[in-house]
Amino acid sequence: MSKKHKISLSEDELILSLRNHEKIAIEALYDMYSASLYGVISRIVIDTAIAEDVLQETFVKIWHSFSSYSSEKGRLFTWMVNIARNLAIDKIRSKDFKNQNKNQEIENNVTFIDEQNNTVYKPELMGVKDLVQTLKPEQKSIIDLVYFKGYTHVEAADELGIPLGTIKTRLRMGIQQLRKHFN
Amino acid sequence: MEDIKAYIETGILELYVLGDVTPNEKIEVEEMALKHPAIKAELDEIERSMELYAKENAVEPSEHLRGRILGSILTNFGDDNNFPEKPHPAQNNIIALPAPKQNNFYKYAFAASLALLVSSSVALVSVYSRLQQSNGQLVALQLQNQHFTNRVNLMDRELSIFRDPSFKLLKLQGTAKTPASVVTLAFSPTKKKVMIDMSNVKLPQNDSNHQYQLWALVGGKPVDLGVFDAKADSTDMKEMKSIALADAFAVTLEPKGGSVNPTMDQMVVLGKF
Repeated sequence: MSKKHKISLSEDELILSLRNHEKIAIEALYDMYSASLYGVISRIVIDTAIAEDVLQETFVKIWHSFSSYSSEKGRLFTWMVNIARNLAIDKIRSKDFKNQNKNQEIENNVTFIDEQNNTVYKPELMGVKDLVQTLKPEQKSIIDLVYFKGYTHVEAADELGIPLGTIKTRLRMGIQQLRKHFN
Repeated sequence: MEDIKAYIETGILELYVLGDVTPNEKIEVEEMALKHPAIKAELDEIERSMELYAKENAVEPSEHLRGRILGSILTNFGDDNNFPEKPHPAQNNIIALPAPKQNNFYKYAFAASLALLVSSSVALVSVYSRLQQSNGQLVALQLQNQHFTNRVNLMDRELSIFRDPSFKLLKLQGTAKTPASVVTLAFSPTKKKVMIDMSNVKLPQNDSNHQYQLWALVGGKPVDLGVFDAKADSTDMKEMKSIALADAFAVTLEPKGGSVNPTMDQMVVLGKF
């Protein structure tokens, strides 16, 4: 699959054109962030069709409620990933979804998703190996639970049977490691 | 500066970026970031690395999804362009309704009806009592009227008798026993009528066991002409039994109902032609 001409703008340009409701803005937004957002959504909602619906709902919501985003309060992606995560969690907690019985046990999920998608290795993921080396497994599991699975740190402490303080520490240390790694 | 460092080290900023804070903590972090550039910088660092981490873990959605999602948004986008003016905020569409006019009409109408009802009832009662009064008066007047009519009739009769030339008036004078007694009677031989003028009867009142009896003396024999009572309030002319011829009239006091023959010693008046 050739990745045609993907549109890419600087964050400031993107925000400005989104604010003006320009057509190019939504295209650029999709090209720049759909994969990152879908990474989060598809780890929470396992069913592909439903995950795709959630991604669509996410972009529609970003487009229509963009006026509520303020760049002073943080980065655009942080705002968007919270929308995506919340919509995904709402979806798996909804009655419809529960009835479909399509949700899976959390422990299996992370590996399950990665197995499902291991054909789409991308050049920008070349560094992942290093990352795995930098991030201790116990830090990664907590970051993944909270960031990708939408767990609160309290729920994560419960799930992993680890004291809350330890969870917080590991979360912070893990993110510190990520920062070092990306710098 | 120490405070800020300590605040950063609580790990709240990480949780904020992960969307795992309460609304109050969210506001607090945003306020701190606004006040302290160091915190803002720290936040930005965390956000940036999480964004990159997400990119590392990105999953490319299927190709067809791009067209579908952009299409759904741009369909609406087209609609938006048909209305270059953004729809006015809902607030502008809200026109304050004029305060509903206080319509007291029915309230007052009801009160007026009640007042009318009460006053009508009162008026009705008073009119009714006056009607009763008037009816009473009317009855009294009718009685009076009848009384006068009767009286006039009586007097007419008396008058007609007195005017009638065939009637002869005879005063029966009291006997030695009752010198004050007087009975006036009218006698018409042609009409064979004998009437006692009851208003001019002056006799001692008889008790309930006795009555006065009028007698005609014809050729020396007494003929019964009927009984009567002597009452103070008698007014009419009392017609007695008829007789064509009489020499004299007399009244005796007899047992109630009268006797066949007069009790001579009870004779109270006597008159002769």
